[in-house]
Amino acid sequence: MATSFPTARLTLGQMRRSVGRLTAAGVAIVISTAFVTVTLLAGGVIQGTTHDMVAAQYARADLVVSATDQEQGSFGADDVSAVAAVDGVDTVQPLVSWMGDLRNGGKGGYLAFAPVPEDSRLSPLELTDGAWPAADDEVALTPQVAERLEVGVGDTVTLARTLYPDGWADSQESVDPAADPAAELGEPEEVTETLTVTGLADDPYGAYATYGGAAAVPAATLDAWNAAEPYPNPVSELLVALDVPPAGDSVPAPLSEAIQAAADGVAGGTSVATTEEVATAKTAEQTGGQDLVFFVFVMTFAAIALLIAAMVITNTFQVLVAQRIRTLALLRCIGAGTGQLYRSVLLEAAILGAVASAVGIVTGAVLAQAALLVAPAFDLGVPIPTTITPTWQSVVLPLAVGAGVTVLAALAPARSATRVAPLAALRPSDAPTLHARSGRARLVISLLCVVGGFTALGGGVALGMSGGTQFGLVAAVGGGALAFFGVVLSAVLWLPRFAAALGALVARTGPAARLAVANTLRNPRRTAATSTALLIGVTLVTMMSTGAASARMSADSLLDETFPYDVSVSTSSPDYVEDVRDAVADTPGVAATALVTNAIVTLGDMEDAGIIAADPQDLAAMVNVSDEAERLTDGSILLSQDEADQMSLSEGDRTTVSGTDGSVDLAVVITTADPLNHTITAADLSRITDDDTWTDVWAHISGADATTVLADVQDAAAQVDGEAFVMGPAAQAAQFRQVVDVILGIVVGLLAVAVVIALIGVTNTLSLSVIERTRESATLRAIGLSKEQLRGMLAVEGVLIAGVGAILGIVLGLVFGWAGAATALSVMGDVRYAVPWTDLTAVLAVALVAGLIASVVPARAAVRTHPVAALAAE
Amino acid sequence: MDTTVYLPADQPAPAPGGAARAVRARSLTKTYGKGEAIVRALDGVDVDFEEGRFTAIMGPSGSGKSTLMHLLAGLDSATSGQAFLGTTEITGLNDKALTRLRRDRVGFVFQQFNLLPMFTAEQNITLPVELAGGAVDRAWFDTLVETLGLAGRLTHRPGELSGGQQQRVAIARALIAQPDVVFADEPTGNLDSRSGAEVLSFLRRSVRELGRTIIMVTHDPSAAAYADRAVLIADGRIAGDISDPTPESAMAGLDALRTLEPDVATRPAGTTAPGTGA
Repeated sequence: MATSFPTARLTLGQMRRSVGRLTAAGVAIVISTAFVTVTLLAGGVIQGTTHDMVAAQYARADLVVSATDQEQGSFGADDVSAVAAVDGVDTVQPLVSWMGDLRNGGKGGYLAFAPVPEDSRLSPLELTDGAWPAADDEVALTPQVAERLEVGVGDTVTLARTLYPDGWADSQESVDPAADPAAELGEPEEVTETLTVTGLADDPYGAYATYGGAAAVPAATLDAWNAAEPYPNPVSELLVALDVPPAGDSVPAPLSEAIQAAADGVAGGTSVATTEEVATAKTAEQTGGQDLVFFVFVMTFAAIALLIAAMVITNTFQVLVAQRIRTLALLRCIGAGTGQLYRSVLLEAAILGAVASAVGIVTGAVLAQAALLVAPAFDLGVPIPTTITPTWQSVVLPLAVGAGVTVLAALAPARSATRVAPLAALRPSDAPTLHARSGRARLVISLLCVVGGFTALGGGVALGMSGGTQFGLVAAVGGGALAFFGVVLSAVLWLPRFAAALGALVARTGPAARLAVANTLRNPRRTAATSTALLIGVTLVTMMSTGAASARMSADSLLDETFPYDVSVSTSSPDYVEDVRDAVADTPGVAATALVTNAIVTLGDMEDAGIIAADPQDLAAMVNVSDEAERLTDGSILLSQDEADQMSLSEGDRTTVSGTDGSVDLAVVITTADPLNHTITAADLSRITDDDTWTDVWAHISGADATTVLADVQDAAAQVDGEAFVMGPAAQAAQFRQVVDVILGIVVGLLAVAVVIALIGVTNTLSLSVIERTRESATLRAIGLSKEQLRGMLAVEGVLIAGVGAILGIVLGLVFGWAGAATALSVMGDVRYAVPWTDLTAVLAVALVAGLIASVVPARAAVRTHPVAALAAE
Repeated sequence: MDTTVYLPADQPAPAPGGAARAVRARSLTKTYGKGEAIVRALDGVDVDFEEGRFTAIMGPSGSGKSTLMHLLAGLDSATSGQAFLGTTEITGLNDKALTRLRRDRVGFVFQQFNLLPMFTAEQNITLPVELAGGAVDRAWFDTLVETLGLAGRLTHRPGELSGGQQQRVAIARALIAQPDVVFADEPTGNLDSRSGAEVLSFLRRSVRELGRTIIMVTHDPSAAAYADRAVLIADGRIAGDISDPTPESAMAGLDALRTLEPDVATRPAGTTAPGTGA
């Protein structure tokens, strides 16, 4: 302790003098620990929400009786009544799950059905309006469902079910490929039932939130519908309400044994547990699975933020040591040991890390709490807690990580502090720069990483493109990470050269710029470290955005290639296809429609060939590939190149198309639009056949949200008599795009934290330069550098450091993004390599502007330096 | 024999030979601190420096010689009084005008040389012209390089040059823009005696052969002996003026100041310094 006391006093004294700079580094730690804290708290919220949702389906049941074998074990009616008869049991409710297609016109879809509860304790649903349904043509809906179907109490909805003939399930087990169960047992029959909405039942705990709500029907009706399925859902759980709630957390053994004995009809046996026990077990199952993946995913970004914060801290402590070099030397002169100086720097880092982490934890907690307060405004459909639940992990972990990373990052600067010679105190010169060795080992290791990493990445891409997506992805991600590590590790060796090349361009703009470029290259190690911190963030942002853009573009082109239309409506009868077309054409957002007739004909020597026929003008106006559609005329047929090759036909050759009413000779037109393969005009079709045709309406959407238009088209089609089936690849594309955009938004948002921290690093580096060059700045001012030129010089330095990181990051990100797209998307078809220009421009602009802004504070300090300082001997 | 004249401090030191004045100070005062703690670094100085001459400002440490130079060069602002460069009053110019002044009309030579380590000798020399956005006068550049003996060193960086060579580069940098006046602050303070002598010779040649005006601050009598005139300063006041100083006369002047010091310090403001000869 004899040596540590003066060290501690010294450390605190020096910290007081460097509050400003420590704050800048502290901000980097605050941001990253806040990030970690939010992630941990969000993990807690997710776990809590999952638990609540799992528990919600058991409502306020006292016990849950579960079949041990969840697949096969099912409670029959006998078991249910036997359990109900057990002494002490009040009510029993089997947990029947069944999904059905419930609609109002075009609105609606598959929906979860729940039984009307025997006892209010045994259902998460609470009746809020009307009455529970009592007959099998009645239904109660949760408010979300009623809203979606646009119905209220007293309205009717339709339920579509398929009735399968007896023995259907068994017939499906047959291994005989020639077996035709439909011929033996009869076709499955589609039935529609009209149900009256008798009431609205709320789902306050969100038991059905993941299904988007539920519909309740009488238990007997639900049982009947479930039993009519070829594969009925097993009833694997019973909810039990007791006369007297059990005391304590577990089920009394006699009661448990009595219930198990009663439910003796369940294959595989049963287990009895309290609701809380079941909910806890199921939550653990879920949060250990997909939620853990989410947690690791977000923590990865927190780790990136921490890594960049560490780089910023290292630079900051280099600044501090450089700033105090004279003090350190003086301390050495009066007898301080190198160990004392080393410990002093590390102690300072530990204090800074702990204080900043504490602030970060509070900031994170406040942010998380704010998010919870705001969240209900966005109808998430999931009941989430209103307050965060801090655990010891969510406090201790960020504190340990924050302080630990800070101390680790300060190791190198602490070593440089010990290298300060006592003589430096006597030298009346500028603060000497701290030199560190850049080793040959670094070169070798990084080279191995880069070569090995890019090889693995290339292999992964090749594997992905040849169909081995999973292994390809593993190889590509591993290789990419390794290569990136190598690039970052070796940055100090080559990045300054790149900066020099870029600087040579900048230097032409004037003497201040030339000074800035020369200054940037004076301390290549520091420039490299600063640029690299930014490079990491920019690379990852660019990679994600490039990957997403490529995915979007590939999906779009895939859909365009497969579907020449945005929306297609099929009708069950040709009688009202014209009405449907009119209805669709009148829908807002629909730009053009065409009637397209499908027919089975003989094409050349191909029997049973499917062809499509349309009015050429309508078709050209409607399809995405108008140029190709315009080439269709009466007396011609569009064939794809592949098809023509197969039939040994070429452009202009003639081929015969024949149907039941005659045949025509058509000239072959080779089209590049695959979806228009086998297209002839409606006029030609009418000359060969009238039978075996069915007509669809194709529509083109323009200038409107595809998803909305699709829903409107569904409604419009539903208004017309008869049934219509609406298909909307455009809406699918829009939904896909939306999903991609949301994921991209989240990821980029998470990475933005890392970029912000890196930009703080740019400011710190510039500050260090200003401190080290006080005399030089003063000299320049004395020989005629104006304040504006001095500011300009630092601005160019900031922009250059940031620009180098951003440009290299963009290039690397593009390579990684394309590699990722090639590996992951090749299964979908041809991959398009998009360059997300808007995103890239935005990233570059942010980096350059931030570099400029980063120079403002250091520049203010620099211009305050009086020219007299250049003349001062000390 | 040289003539040493001690003058009343409240009268301007006349410029011998009737040459045009390059730099003038009138009641120039600089104080630091307030009230009881007030320090008068410069106390109502009146002095003229002639064009085309090499003048030394001499005095012991803390005498105010550096402060005087800072004010005359427009590097620092005066508390009161005026400083003129030619006909331009520099006290009262804003920073922008002062920057322009330093670019075009003033050159500096520093004790620490203060060359930019990342630039070559040539780049260091031409920097002031470039900062001003002008074109380098190659003939003048060649003349400077020739006179200062830097021909073989132009591609070297400061780290590769000796102290004397660095200071010669600094002199060339100070002269490149053909300024009205060059201020040199202890230009030999960081040099061994041989290099120091060399540098002083170059400064003198710059004045004699190239017609420049140089004002040099020094505490070294042998350095002052290279000048055409030495202005002595003590406690913020002009304490003497020696024309064509020799090391001996300069040393004697300094010694006289030292013996005067306690007396000067207690003397009430406004009274004259003793007018005794050396």
